Amino acid sequence: MSTMNAPAASVTSASAPSVPAAPRPDQLTERLGLGIDRVMAESGLWAPQLAARAFGQARGDVTRATQLLRTHRTSLPRLGRSLPVRAGELRVVRRISSAFRNPPGGQVLGRTLDYVGRLLDLLPEEEGRQRAVLASESAHEHHDHHGHEHPGHEHPQHGHEDEVERAPGHVLSVFREMDIVAPPGDHDDPEPYDITRHPARPGVPRSALLQTMARADTGALLYLWYGSEWKPGGQEAHEVPGELRHGFLPIRVEHPHTGRPVTVGDVRVSEVVSFHSLTRASELPRHLDVGYGMCFGHNERKAISMAGADILLGHYEGTERAAGLQHDVLLTLDGLDITGYTEHQKLPHHAEYRSVLERATAAAAHQAGPHRTGPHPGDTA
Amino acid sequence: MPDTLTRERRSELLAAATHEEIVPLAERLLADGAVPEPTVVKAPETGMVMLQVREPVEEIRFYLGEVLVTECSVDLDGTPGWCMRSGDDRVAALAGALLDAAAAAELPATAEIDALCAAVAERLARADAAEWAEVTATTVKFEELT
Repeated sequence: MSTMNAPAASVTSASAPSVPAAPRPDQLTERLGLGIDRVMAESGLWAPQLAARAFGQARGDVTRATQLLRTHRTSLPRLGRSLPVRAGELRVVRRISSAFRNPPGGQVLGRTLDYVGRLLDLLPEEEGRQRAVLASESAHEHHDHHGHEHPGHEHPQHGHEDEVERAPGHVLSVFREMDIVAPPGDHDDPEPYDITRHPARPGVPRSALLQTMARADTGALLYLWYGSEWKPGGQEAHEVPGELRHGFLPIRVEHPHTGRPVTVGDVRVSEVVSFHSLTRASELPRHLDVGYGMCFGHNERKAISMAGADILLGHYEGTERAAGLQHDVLLTLDGLDITGYTEHQKLPHHAEYRSVLERATAAAAHQAGPHRTGPHPGDTA
Repeated sequence: MPDTLTRERRSELLAAATHEEIVPLAERLLADGAVPEPTVVKAPETGMVMLQVREPVEEIRFYLGEVLVTECSVDLDGTPGWCMRSGDDRVAALAGALLDAAAAAELPATAEIDALCAAVAERLARADAAEWAEVTATTVKFEELT
């Protein structure tokens, strides 16, 4: 560098715009909550503030933020485990069923991107905000007016079965009452397998597969399910996500002094139960196959993929395909494991690459025939 | 309210209290001498609790993931106090354990502690009702075309 560059550089830095202030973690949570939810699910750690911090530090890269949170996790002690919580306790903020038109417990859309426009919004932010406020106010006025003038006319089919429930029963239980889904298998409530403490290899129990999928990379899990060549029944006969929920589950631990359960907080989760018209080999043909998906945060794509993959795992259990499928689930879905390899690829490989080149040159020379095997003109030096 | 508050329910409400709700009360009770200086048995420690879920298909338990919590234990002249709460607020966990012990020891300050718990319960109920009102407003019914 010549000394002439120095003044120019200093001028540049003086006139350069200052680095914009990093958004605060709570601003990130408000605007980019779904991304932060993914970070927590893929890290296997529910810690909204730390995840928001990691997401900001990683400049929005979910996988890098996951790595930051997972690494932080290794510095934390495990203080215990919760008492088992039944998935049915989920306090819903969204619950839909594509299997039933009006399921017991209601169809509650909640906050969703499903029914909003799929066109880029080019309104200036302030204007958009004002319009949203106006629309919301007018909706409330309309609602009040409607309620006062026409009481009881909002829902013509008012009845007990139409009531919306805070923790509705699973659609699965309706199918069980209809005797088209097998009851839970007999088991003596095995201890869950913990993939964070024990190696996960084919042959592990279902609890290990569910735990692996719950913290899988969303895209990888989606591909494993959607791209599977092993879909029973071909692409035409696909499963139906019979129920999808988003809501809160309590974290309960045993009170150290009374021994009774105490709720110390809650987590937000997504849950899907999918049904397929094919049966497991060992079961009666009248039964539907069922798959289960649950992950931290609001991530319906992941929960649907997990439930679909769980159907595959259940369907092929005990067949020669089981080990291969379990291998893929256990060893190719973890975001850090699989992207670790791309990180590795970027590290210097000069010696290895030189060796590859030398072998390629030698092979080319050999292929060219014996008359070319003499010393190369440039090699004499 | 004080008569019906079990120790577990009080722990839940102290765990759900915000830093601003719980820490000033603990500090004031200590400063006034209404609560003696506690012995910290287990200093506030941030760690994780593994969440066990029982799924509905096979009804087996599996580990969904871990949750960040902070735990603290104190002793107040022979009465143990404990707090575990979501997140990494160590000061709030210490305050929670102190208030838990003070109420368990049935000190006169219990009335104030339970009043705080009642306020927290009311705040949670209000938030829950508001959330549910927003959620139920999005209820839909599908009609069949005939």
